[in-house]
Amino acid sequence: MCVKGMITDIQHASIHDGPGIRTTVFLKGCPLHCVWCHNPECIAFEPQLLWYPEKCIGCGKCEEGCFSGAKVICGKEMTVEEVFEEIMLDKPYYTGNGGVTVSGGEPLAQPEFTLALLKKCRENHIHTAIETCLYIYHEEIFKHCDLIMADLKIWDEEKHKQYTGVSNKSIIENFKKLDKLNIPFIMRTPVIEGITDVEVKEISRFAKTLKNIQKYELLPYHPLGITKARALGIQQERFKEITNMEALKRYADL
Amino acid sequence: MLTYEERLKQLRKTKIEHTLKKREQQGYMDIDDFGTVPLPDDYEVQPWYNSPNGSFYGFDGMSENFCRVIKAHPPYVDPLEMLCGRWRDMLVNYRGDKHYAPKWQEKNKHIRKLTEEEKNDVGSKRWDEARFPYDHLKPYQEKYNITSGIDGDAHMACDYSIGLRLGFGGLLEKIRKYREINKDKKDFYDAEEKCLLAIVDFVQRHIDKIKELLREETRPEIKANLEKMLEVNQNIKWNPPKTFHEACQWVAYFNCASRIYTRDGAGFQLDVLLYDYYENDVKNGILDDETAKFLIANLLLIDPHYYQVSGVDENDNDLTNHLSYLILEAAHSLNIAVNLTVRVHKNCDQAFLRKAVEYLFTDRNGWPRFCNDEALTKGYMRNGYDKKTARQRIAVGCNWMAVPGRECPMNDTVKINIAKVFEVAMQEMDKKDNPSTEKLFQLFEKHLKKAVEITAAGVNLHLDHQWEVTPELIMNLMMHNTIEKGLDITQCAELFTVGVDGAGLAIAADSFAALEQRIEREKRITWEEIDKHLENNFEGVEGERVRQMMLSSERYCQGNSLGDKWARRINELFCKLIVEQEMPKGRKLIPGWFSWSRTIEYGSKVGATPNGRKKGEPISHGANPYPGFRKDGAVTAMSTGIAAIQCGYGNPAPLQLEFDPKISAEEGGIERVLNLIKTHFELGGTLININVLDEKKLMEAHKNPDLYPDLVVRVTGFTAYFATLSPEFRQLVIDRFVRGF
Repeated sequence: MCVKGMITDIQHASIHDGPGIRTTVFLKGCPLHCVWCHNPECIAFEPQLLWYPEKCIGCGKCEEGCFSGAKVICGKEMTVEEVFEEIMLDKPYYTGNGGVTVSGGEPLAQPEFTLALLKKCRENHIHTAIETCLYIYHEEIFKHCDLIMADLKIWDEEKHKQYTGVSNKSIIENFKKLDKLNIPFIMRTPVIEGITDVEVKEISRFAKTLKNIQKYELLPYHPLGITKARALGIQQERFKEITNMEALKRYADL
Repeated sequence: MLTYEERLKQLRKTKIEHTLKKREQQGYMDIDDFGTVPLPDDYEVQPWYNSPNGSFYGFDGMSENFCRVIKAHPPYVDPLEMLCGRWRDMLVNYRGDKHYAPKWQEKNKHIRKLTEEEKNDVGSKRWDEARFPYDHLKPYQEKYNITSGIDGDAHMACDYSIGLRLGFGGLLEKIRKYREINKDKKDFYDAEEKCLLAIVDFVQRHIDKIKELLREETRPEIKANLEKMLEVNQNIKWNPPKTFHEACQWVAYFNCASRIYTRDGAGFQLDVLLYDYYENDVKNGILDDETAKFLIANLLLIDPHYYQVSGVDENDNDLTNHLSYLILEAAHSLNIAVNLTVRVHKNCDQAFLRKAVEYLFTDRNGWPRFCNDEALTKGYMRNGYDKKTARQRIAVGCNWMAVPGRECPMNDTVKINIAKVFEVAMQEMDKKDNPSTEKLFQLFEKHLKKAVEITAAGVNLHLDHQWEVTPELIMNLMMHNTIEKGLDITQCAELFTVGVDGAGLAIAADSFAALEQRIEREKRITWEEIDKHLENNFEGVEGERVRQMMLSSERYCQGNSLGDKWARRINELFCKLIVEQEMPKGRKLIPGWFSWSRTIEYGSKVGATPNGRKKGEPISHGANPYPGFRKDGAVTAMSTGIAAIQCGYGNPAPLQLEFDPKISAEEGGIERVLNLIKTHFELGGTLININVLDEKKLMEAHKNPDLYPDLVVRVTGFTAYFATLSPEFRQLVIDRFVRGF
């Protein structure tokens, strides 16, 4: 049976999604909807239309296909084999600790596909990683990962609900469960001034109680999501880029 | 007491002043910096024109004018340096040459006349057409936009060990000795002698200048430096260099002379050839590493010649030595435009390779670059030469290799604009009679074959007569067989592997791919419609829609795309036609894809192309994809794509890469770039010209180049100061820039 996934994009030669030179597979759909999300096109599970009016040349032939980049369909159903074929294009560059990262969206929200893809990579001796919000727990998937990068964005539950749309209770529980699997993981917090920066201290305290955590990483905010959100017809707020990152990083040292 | 570091800081400052002054004197220069210094205000040369067409040629014309130009060069002695000598002007300028023409030339009526009379691209009277006409080739050269190599010079490499062993005095003796033996070659020897004496006079004038400075110098430290300089100069005026300092100074003088003659920039294996001097001096206690580094930095400051470092010998033994490291450190301490190529082989010191990559990050000035020993050596051996010879063929040119002293490759002077050949084929195909990409490819093959034949005819004409037009009087001094036989190197080289360079691969490949995809597979458009849009240069909204459609087809370097498929097919055809071309007198043509600064000029000759490129826009650069080929993953996709279209006969198809890795050296940037280099080479790549740049700085410098007069970019094989490039050329670099990894 061909397992299919809903894919937003496959990014080659990525260096910010794990060690070495990697191919990152972005899945579509996420149970969270963080107000600062830098991949807002990955939140909905179904394909969407991104509309960039500034690129439109006014040919009036939208229905025959748009080539100017004004109308972009985001989300494509692909089989594990199709995705894997793309992954293999960069196989020679995965030497050392490079490899594949399944990201999103939320890879655990398409568990069947993610698992099948990770298995396929493992069979071919490719280093595997996922980037997840850990809202969902899936032990078998975790066991097929060489590295897990999991976010804990806000410690305060109410605030978590306010900014991500869901409670963080299960996320925190899932961290504790994950810690027992003896799989190395990295905990991460996107730093949004005035919102998550004040949470770093608490999260860091929790991080220190975990034994398989490799490091606690702070991710700087970048406003890349705004243009994409606009193309989806959504107004995304622009947050300030953090200025005292270095000071915060001291808290994050485990 | 000034430290070496303080001295270098001051020298860098002087370099920036020179760069800005040169831009004022010469205008934008889309070429190598060459290490020249500005011309003095009273500088003037009265050339001797010995041809009825107003130009000068031959042994007498070249030697006399060399003497006049070098004589007009004032000595250059900076008491902060340890070496002296600089060059400022070259002979080719006096034959009228648009390609290199500095702005000041416009004031010279005679040169202006020479340039205006000539209708060819370079507007040059470098070739004596009255005696050696090629009118029969011209219509085809124009038709296929061929750079014929006729009128070229240099583009080979000297064997510096000859000069270092003999010194100027020994070279003179050698000339005189063989003049007695080969009495019928008197003109040749007289010309060689005349040039050599002019070089020695150049040295003497530096000696005089140093003495003059010494008379007025009161600061003990500077005085001591000048005294040392004087001693070195006096020693090497006739004698071969004995110390590291003397060897560096001797090389600097030879380079100045060779540049003045034909702007020859080929260097040598720097770490190997100078090692014995270094080792000896250290053993004798007269040299320490800091001084050696300063001397190397000084040599690199005088001229960004193309030097190779590291690599392996004929038995695969590592050549990396302590001096190799000092050379990197010296270049780092200077951090200006330098052209160092690190030869990569699995047996080489890996720590050295890492160190080299580190400097890409820390200095961000486009150095060093990297060449792949295995692919180059194996490739050259396919021409029928042994491993020893192939290994000696080192990276000493902007994008090319040569066997020092033994080869006459004309590399980088012979090119075919493949985009133009494609256009000819496209125009010839009858769009009403069952057109197809297969038919188009057959036509393309027919025309490419003709273009190669015309190219070969040009090469042969050139090689038959270069000695009568532009004999290589300076390079001959350090070539094998030349002085011994009384022959110009273009007549007596042991190896005549002549490089023919293809330009515009991506344009042709993407065009074939777009036609196959949009017409044949998807049936979105017809051949006749495409023809109409090409003719109208994609005008109007409908034209723009079609252009966008063609542009967004599967392109070369996207990875297993139609464009990649066509690029491989075109490359195979190109290589086959080149290597199968029959050549006389032991000559062989070998293929490569490393065309550089002519992408703008070549583009101006080609109308709109089916890949969505508009009329007159630049063609693609060397083996690189057409800009915008992929929105992500550009780095690995390019590396894989380019590795797949290597010609495989010893000439490269470089991976030309400018990018901001968005990751610091410490965050794993070095490992990733190292990984990229190694993987590209494992896949068969030959040469990597790499610019690790700061995107923000580059964009700011593009808007206002004067903000960063010291920003250097590796334009291709050569590096240049970004501020001296023309806006169009800067745009090319910007267009090539790829984001992130």
